[in-house]
Amino acid sequence: MRLTPSIRLAAACLLSVAVYFLAFAFVLDRPLALGFPRAQIEAKLALGAAIPGRKLVILAGSNGPYSHRCETIEPLLAIPCVNAGVAVGIGLDYLFARWKPLLKPGDIVYLPLEEAQYVRGRAETAVGPDAAIMLRHDWATLRTLRAERWEAALFPQDLRGAVMSVIESALVAARFHDPRAEATGGMNAWGDHVGHTATLGAGNRAMLAHLSPQHVTAAAIEAGYGTRIVAGFLDWAPGHGIVTVGGLPTAFADAPMPPATEAAIRTVFRRHGARFLSLPNRAAYPRVDFFDTAEHLNEAAQIAHSKLVAAALSAVLGRSAAVRHDLVAAPGQQPPALHVTQRLTAPSSPAP
Amino acid sequence: MLFNSTTFILGFLPIGLAGLFVCGRLEDGRWALAWLVGASLVFYGWWNPVHVPLLCGSIVVNHWLGRRIASYPGTIARRWLAVGVVLNLSLLGWFKYAGFLFGIDPPALPLAISFFTFQQIMYLADSNGATSNGATGNGTASNGIARSGRNAGHDGFLPYAAFVSFFPHLIAGPIVRPREILPQLRAAGLARPDPDAIAAGLEIFLLGLAKKLVLADMFGRFADTGFDAAAHGAALTLFEAWYALLAYALQIYFDFSGYSDMAIGLARMMNVRFPVNFASPYQARSIAEFWRRWHITLGQFLRDYVYIPLGGNRRLPALLVTMLLCGLWHGAAWRFVIWGGLHGLFLLVHRLWRRLGITLPSPLCWLLTLLAVVLAWVPFRADGLDAAWRMLRGLSGANGVALPRMIVDALPWLGHVAVPVPLLPYLGDARTLSFPEVTACLGLGWFIVLAMPHVHELQPRMRGVTLTAGFAFTIQALFFAPHVAPFLYFQF
Repeated sequence: MRLTPSIRLAAACLLSVAVYFLAFAFVLDRPLALGFPRAQIEAKLALGAAIPGRKLVILAGSNGPYSHRCETIEPLLAIPCVNAGVAVGIGLDYLFARWKPLLKPGDIVYLPLEEAQYVRGRAETAVGPDAAIMLRHDWATLRTLRAERWEAALFPQDLRGAVMSVIESALVAARFHDPRAEATGGMNAWGDHVGHTATLGAGNRAMLAHLSPQHVTAAAIEAGYGTRIVAGFLDWAPGHGIVTVGGLPTAFADAPMPPATEAAIRTVFRRHGARFLSLPNRAAYPRVDFFDTAEHLNEAAQIAHSKLVAAALSAVLGRSAAVRHDLVAAPGQQPPALHVTQRLTAPSSPAP
Repeated sequence: MLFNSTTFILGFLPIGLAGLFVCGRLEDGRWALAWLVGASLVFYGWWNPVHVPLLCGSIVVNHWLGRRIASYPGTIARRWLAVGVVLNLSLLGWFKYAGFLFGIDPPALPLAISFFTFQQIMYLADSNGATSNGATGNGTASNGIARSGRNAGHDGFLPYAAFVSFFPHLIAGPIVRPREILPQLRAAGLARPDPDAIAAGLEIFLLGLAKKLVLADMFGRFADTGFDAAAHGAALTLFEAWYALLAYALQIYFDFSGYSDMAIGLARMMNVRFPVNFASPYQARSIAEFWRRWHITLGQFLRDYVYIPLGGNRRLPALLVTMLLCGLWHGAAWRFVIWGGLHGLFLLVHRLWRRLGITLPSPLCWLLTLLAVVLAWVPFRADGLDAAWRMLRGLSGANGVALPRMIVDALPWLGHVAVPVPLLPYLGDARTLSFPEVTACLGLGWFIVLAMPHVHELQPRMRGVTLTAGFAFTIQALFFAPHVAPFLYFQF
């Protein structure tokens, strides 16, 4: 049978979409670029699921694990803590969808979200790395999200993604030694990033010295698509007995977040019934305290910042118990046992 | 309005086509042409409506001049032609070169002024029959399109306005000749829907769209990393510089040839055939052949309306002057002049070499040509001469050779020539795996341009296969890519 040009054209287009879908839904994968955050997300979810009682969950982008340390906060507040942040590119709606089933009445969710997360647009959110993760591995969560998310998830990868799928799969098959752990550190059993010491980050100092962070405006925060997602979560939480607390991401002391932006973030939380953590230093530190970006403190500063956060959280939550400085564990040491029944091992390098 | 925007593809194009075909059912085709002109002005004004009156005024004045030229004999016609050329070049010069030449604040550049000015100069010259063999017509134009043989100046206003403003070529070419297009716009079948022509045109359009969205924009991101770093004073190492340059060479080819294919496809849907504008230029085995394959319609314009009138083959400087003007046409900046000058120099060297009668092996010819063309993109793309110089230093290896440690660990002999580093900061996204990623993508891109036939050479079956390979990625980029990059040639 001779096909007319119109039918041939339509057939080529349909076949293209079908092949693309089959390839990215069932065959191609990015075990290094996406496998790593996926493994982190799953490990942290498993950690949260393993805690039987109430817990503190820190949810953010990479500012969560790099600049906050559950290993430090947990004994200070005497409450099991999970550092659930992974990377700023992971959609908040996806993270909330994954965490909601694990949150129980009495749980506390602390959200020191990066500025970028409030202003991340609808389109950008829809095609984030979680879109590819969902299409390939997590249809269950994809089904729970809005139509625009699964429409975008059907087309999660560009040509670079396809090329990298092949390369990464080949590297994994060849038992490629991922050098990232040596370059940036790894993850502990609380989900904290560890090992990102000042010594390891010495090579980034010149770059950090010249980095000029771009802060977003208060108007952008108010109008942001990410803000709407956060607001939705804040509205959902009280009905389920969840306590939500907002916070600021870390920033350079010489280039802090503008007061108007900070006020806008605080307003988002307060308007939706959440509390907000005000730290004496507004989470701002000298550049020497950072590892490789303005959201990543080095390990010593991470621990110091976590003590401040613990003290402020204690005050905000109205806990009677004072912060227990005697229970602070040294980096790398196991703190006194709390209620966590199982600590999971997790991948130990950051997103490539 | 961008060809690669959803507004154009889902809104303007279907409405424009439907309106044309509906108008085509009305008497004598004038309504169809009027619709085409109206739609084209909407298309043009979508970007910046302020310049629509300028385009309209230019069309009216040039049509009037064309009629004057066509209705007078010899000397008087040539005077009218001179008036027209001066007027057009003055308009172009004022908007495009006033800042460059006189150091004044340049006025806002009207979109596509370089293209519609050249189109209309061709019209005036053709009206006079004043150009050389290539322009005056010898029966068949390039790409096999039949010529009518009649003077363009005899056309009515509506076909002329449709020819100049015809939206498929208005913004960035191809630079089509009046005698090739006007007869097609006057043809009875213009506004008659032809399913086969629509399918063929849509297929070419989609392949062009894939070139732009899937390939050009991907390589553009790689190129921008390196060139932007050079613009900010960074010292690029050998691989960072070469990868950025090779990526830019692919970006500009896929971007511009993709645009041209889209224009050809759009015109085809409306039963108008445009000439091919790119024919695998990086496969050229000489610089002269490169210019017969790269932006073919511009090359032909320059040959027929600048080079030959300047003396052509009889005068060597004509070549250099033509190419300098070619560079200047791309933009009012020294970097474009240098680019044009380099190509003029290459063409001179090529001509002198041919006179020597020494023949080099074909692969060596190809390699030398490619190297010259690619290196000439450095001043063309760099943000200023300082940045170009920094890029050239990187390309020469003056800033050292560095490779990711993972590569050196895997291939230890590379340690003798390259310094192992955790990652290359000016390569791709500066991630651990950026080096293999960019390497693989460049490999794919250069395979396509060097080993595959261009879109218009592909057999129908292979076109289908190519579309199957690219369509889904095009959909991904069109609807789900967070950023839309404009066409590079919009700025010219």
